[in-house]
This record gives sequence, structure tokens and C-alpha cells, in this order.
Amino acid sequence: MSNSSAGDGTPHLDVTEIEQAEELVEQRVPSTEHALGASESAARTGGGWITTVWAAPGFAWLGFYLIAPLVFIVLVSFWTYQVGAKSGFVADWTFSNYSELFRDSTYWNNMLSSFYRSLIAVVACLVFGFPVAYFLALKVNSLRNQIALFVFALAPFWTSYLTRSVAWTYPLMGREGGLNQVLQKIGIVNEPIEALGFSETSVTLAMIQLYVLFMITPLFFTLSQVDRTALEAARDLGGNWWRTFREVILPQTMPGVVIGSIFIFVLTMGEYGTVRVIGGNAISSVGTIVQSRVEIAVQYPQGAASAVLLVLALVLGVFVITRFSNLREDL
Amino acid sequence: MAEERVGLATEGAATAAPSTAKGSGLDLIELTKVFPGGTVAVEDFNLHVDHGEYVVLLGPSGCGKTTTLRMIGGHEFPTSGEILLDGQSLVHLPPHKRPTTTVFQHFALFPHRTVLDNVAFGLKMHGVRKQERRRQAMEALEMVGLVPLADRRPRQLSGGQQQRVALARVLVTQPKALLLDEPLGDLDRLLQLRMRVELRNLQRQLGLMFVHVTHNQEEALSMADRIVVMNDARIQQIAEPVTIATKPETELVARFMGDNNIIQGRVASREGDRLIIENGSVRASVVAPGDPRAVGDEAVVSVRAAAVELDLNRSGAGELNSADCEIVFVEFLGDLVKLHLTAEGERMLAKVPGERYPSLRGREGEKITITWKEEDVQLLGR
Repeated sequence: MSNSSAGDGTPHLDVTEIEQAEELVEQRVPSTEHALGASESAARTGGGWITTVWAAPGFAWLGFYLIAPLVFIVLVSFWTYQVGAKSGFVADWTFSNYSELFRDSTYWNNMLSSFYRSLIAVVACLVFGFPVAYFLALKVNSLRNQIALFVFALAPFWTSYLTRSVAWTYPLMGREGGLNQVLQKIGIVNEPIEALGFSETSVTLAMIQLYVLFMITPLFFTLSQVDRTALEAARDLGGNWWRTFREVILPQTMPGVVIGSIFIFVLTMGEYGTVRVIGGNAISSVGTIVQSRVEIAVQYPQGAASAVLLVLALVLGVFVITRFSNLREDL
Repeated sequence: MAEERVGLATEGAATAAPSTAKGSGLDLIELTKVFPGGTVAVEDFNLHVDHGEYVVLLGPSGCGKTTTLRMIGGHEFPTSGEILLDGQSLVHLPPHKRPTTTVFQHFALFPHRTVLDNVAFGLKMHGVRKQERRRQAMEALEMVGLVPLADRRPRQLSGGQQQRVALARVLVTQPKALLLDEPLGDLDRLLQLRMRVELRNLQRQLGLMFVHVTHNQEEALSMADRIVVMNDARIQQIAEPVTIATKPETELVARFMGDNNIIQGRVASREGDRLIIENGSVRASVVAPGDPRAVGDEAVVSVRAAAVELDLNRSGAGELNSADCEIVFVEFLGDLVKLHLTAEGERMLAKVPGERYPSLRGREGEKITITWKEEDVQLLGR
């Protein structure tokens, strides 16, 4: 029975026997590798036109509501502003909208401060969102409770964006807002904290609160994919909590981190509503600049150019985020 | 060929005192686990396992065998009781500080790491330097024959290969005790049969303590030095495989091991230590010194299906240690034939060599007498 093929006396499995058995098994049950290969090639060859038909409405939608307006905005950004012309511009090619913008330090300062605010929001959402997602996905045991708690966590989203912003602003924030009053009442501060008024801090806090769920959601779904017994195995093999987190959980959660970060970055970088409501006129962003160019000054070409640069900044940011992680490999 | 290991704990140690040899090996003493809902998963579990011994915890699902294993590994904490390894208490240590490692049921490999990195993981956690852990991991892969696949990801491997990775991953950390939770459960039957032999062989070569959990009777019989049969949170019997198979102590063990004829009857007469137990035409005798039963008391005995002989012309009808049966179904299984019978409304089973199939086929509905020897009758406890 113990026909040790390698006669060196070191313990080992008799692999030839196992592989013979495995080969016999494989004939009946194709290995995962084969199965994956088969389904991939099926996706590549079979039913190509059916997929196209299914995807067509989606593409049409994207084309009409995303690509076309974007192309139009790029075009307008190269056209000439003219007072009195129909809709305020004529289709004469010019680069002056951009050259003006490049010299406009207010725009670039706002670009920078918006970027900085976004960065803080991304990091803060990660820091606050991760424990929530971790708890939901790995500490809550039944799927039922997981879903119930997840829906509960989404509850703030049931109220509209504006309602929440307003609810945040007047009763809570502001120089004379609830938070400052409470802090003064219980004697933590004597003077109202200015930062809680129309300030950078208020805007950033509001954004974090408004968007943190865009971080929690992808994190929750990627963390749910993590095999809990693999975590037990990691602990079993000598990993303490931190090493297990660092070596096993985090690498498997990177797609969620990246997708969440992209969400938060894109949403906060282009934000103007929250900035307007929470920041009053004290705070501005790239978004508010674009908005005021278009809505207040009615300078469409200049507004379009500032919007195009914002989009380019977003694309660059997303590119950097995906570059930092090896998302493509993980997906 | 292999040294027969006789466990220190006495057979049927469910109620016996734990072994006194606490200096060496694994001791589980009065181990009890009650889950928060009040469910008792494990109750008063006592076991001693020697280094180099292969012990299998066997029982139906939910009997507490996995919980026991998880308590040894540190993945569950006992409500009460003690776990000692070489005299040192493990109870308050987290899994990563215990000198035990577990092969988990569905392999639990790290999907984002290569085979080599999976195997090297334990060494990394123990602070072994990169070059050294690579070398040791390669050695472990050599042992399970997976060196050519070192750079693959787990999902690119077959089930059997994944299982070998899981094995290499735990062996590389050189545990004092290896815990295996249904290690062959995910494998195709043919591979399972092969892995039984190979895993057992490897364990002998390593001389390492294995504690293996399964619900598969055959697997337990084929691999274990000793089997611990569990049911409903309690140990039913601890014994060598041959004893479990031929001398079950309780009705539950006899039923769970399968292919045992259970005869529920009353004591018809008593001659010294010999009890005659009767249920209609079914009569069995058993020598039971010290058994308190008197005539008329209930008694349950078992007779292995393989110990039953067929008396086709019914010459032995009415004798002691025989039963008059009706053939319900003749089941041909290649090497053997299973004869499904009824006697006094109870199901009975006889296993005879496959060569006898031609003389038995098509005889469903006929009357037959079966006989057995007194020494094959086993008096069962509750």
C-alpha cells in the first residue's frame, strides 16, 4: 500500500495515484478551468447579435443624454460669445474661452479647493464607511439582518437631497444653528464656532454625510464576497486581526474601495448644490463657477469651457485612482 | 504493516474518567458548549489523543463534532471544560496563538493569492523571511505534488488540487495537531477513495496528530486509529474502527453505522449470564455478565448484516439465533448482495457475497430463515 515512489523518505502524497483518480473524475466533471474557458468562448462567439439588440436601447439612451450633450458642450466651448446674439453666442471658432480661463486664477483656485475638498471627502468616507460596511458584511450573521440593516443605513436616501441639505443647514449648522447653541449651552464653547457657519468645514461635512452611502454600498458588496472561512483560516495560520485585515480582507475589497472612491470623487468635485445651500455665498467651487457663468452671466461659451476642463479633471482623477490600484486585475 | 495504536482512553469512555496521561498529547476534559440560544452543541466531552494518532469524530450533522473541532482550533470558545495540549491549556488562546491548524471544509483558500503565496501565508504571519518562506512553501508543494502550479490562482485549480493546496498550507506551519473538518467532503467519490489512502499514509509518515471530522462512516472506518461516535452533543462510543463496526455499544451507534439488524424484544429467559431475547419468531441469545435485566424486561440487540447466514430450505426455523423472514428486495451491488427482509414487521438485512446473486434473484415475496452466531449478537445500551 505504501509504495513510496520517491524513495528519499520525506513525507509526501503519492501524487500519481491521486492524479489518475482525478483524471477519471475530470472526464465526467469538467474542471472549473475548463468550465470557465467554455463559458468565455460562448460569450465571445454565440448570440452576438442578440446581445447587441438587448444593449441597443441602453446605447441609444447614453448617446442621447450623455454623448450628444457632451459633444455639444465641447463645440460651444470653442464658439464665440456675443452679446445680443441668439442664445448669446455665434458659431465662430475661437480658443479665447480657454485662453481666458487659463489666465483666470479664481477658476484655478476653485479647481484646487474643490479637489482638496473632494480628497478630504473621499478619505473621510472611506474612514467612516469602511467600519459600517465591515460590520454589515462580516459581523452581522444572517442575510436577512444584513439586508434589513443595509436598507436602514440607506434610510437617509429616502428623503430627498434638498430636504436633507436644508435640514442640515438651518436647524443644525450655521452660526446660530442648533449645534452651536447646544455647544454653548453645555458650556463647551463660549462663542459660536465660526466653522459651523457658512464655511468650508460645513460644506465638507455636509458632503461626507450626503455621499458616504456611495462608499458604503460598493464596500458592503465587495466585503460580502469575502469568504468568511478564509478569514478563519487566516487567523488559524497565525494572522492576528490586523494582519488578517491587511493581507486577506483589504486586497479582496480593493475593487469596492476604488469604485466608492470614484463615486465620491466625481460627485463631490462637480458639486454645486450643497456648496450653495450649506456654504451660502461664502464658499464657491468649480461647480458654482460653471453655474454662475451659465445661469447668472449667461456666458455659454465660457461656461462650457470651464465645464469641459472640469470633466477633463474628473477623467484624470478617475484615471489616477484606477492606476493606483490594480483594479483591472482584481475584477 | 502499520503499527496498531491502542488508545489510552478505555473503549466506550463516554462516562469513563479522562486519561491521566496529561503530560503528552491532546486532552479534552468535560468540554461543553452551549450556544447563546440555549442549544447544547457539545456536552461533557472527554477525550485523550496521542501524538501521531489519527482520531475521527463521526456523527450525523448537528451532532456537535464540528463544534468540538472548532473549540480545539480556537474558533469557538467552550462554555466550560478544559483543552490541554501537552499539559498546556489552550482554552484562552485565540486561534493564531494555538499550535493547531485546520483544514477547512471548503478549503478556504485565499482567492487573491497564488498557490505559492497561499502556502507561504502561515510562514509570513509567523515572521519568516521571504526567501526562507518561499523555500519552505515550495517544499510543502513538492510534498503534495503541486510545484508546477505554484503560480496559479486557486480558482484555476480542480477541487482535488485545491484540497492539496489547503493541506500544504497547514502542514508548512508544522502544527502539533492537524484538525480536518470534512476534508474529503467536496471531492468526487473516486478521488475521495484515493485521498483516504494517501492522506492516511501521509499522516503515518509525518507521525502527526490528526483530528478529523466526518459524517461518512466508511471514511471513518478506513482512516481512523480510533473513532469517536457522537450523537446529539454527546459521545456515544470511543473505540477502534473494528470495535465500532462489530461491537456497537448503543442503539444509536448500531443504527448510525448502518447495516446492523436491530432486534427490539423482551428477555424470554435467563440462564446465568446468558439472556434469551425474543420478538415473536426472532430469537437471539447474548452473554451479558452483570446485566441487571430480568425475564420480561425490554432489551435491544444488534446483529451485523454481514454476520447473517441464509437458510433457504428453512431447516433452522424456530431455533435460537434465527428469524423467519420474508424477502422484500434482492439488491445486487457487484461484490455483494443485500437481501432486504422483514421479520415481525421489522426491517432486517443480510449481506452475502455477490456470487450468490444467481440463486437469489427474483425470489422477492418468498419466506426464508436467517441465522447467526451467538458471538455476533451485541447487547445495546441506550
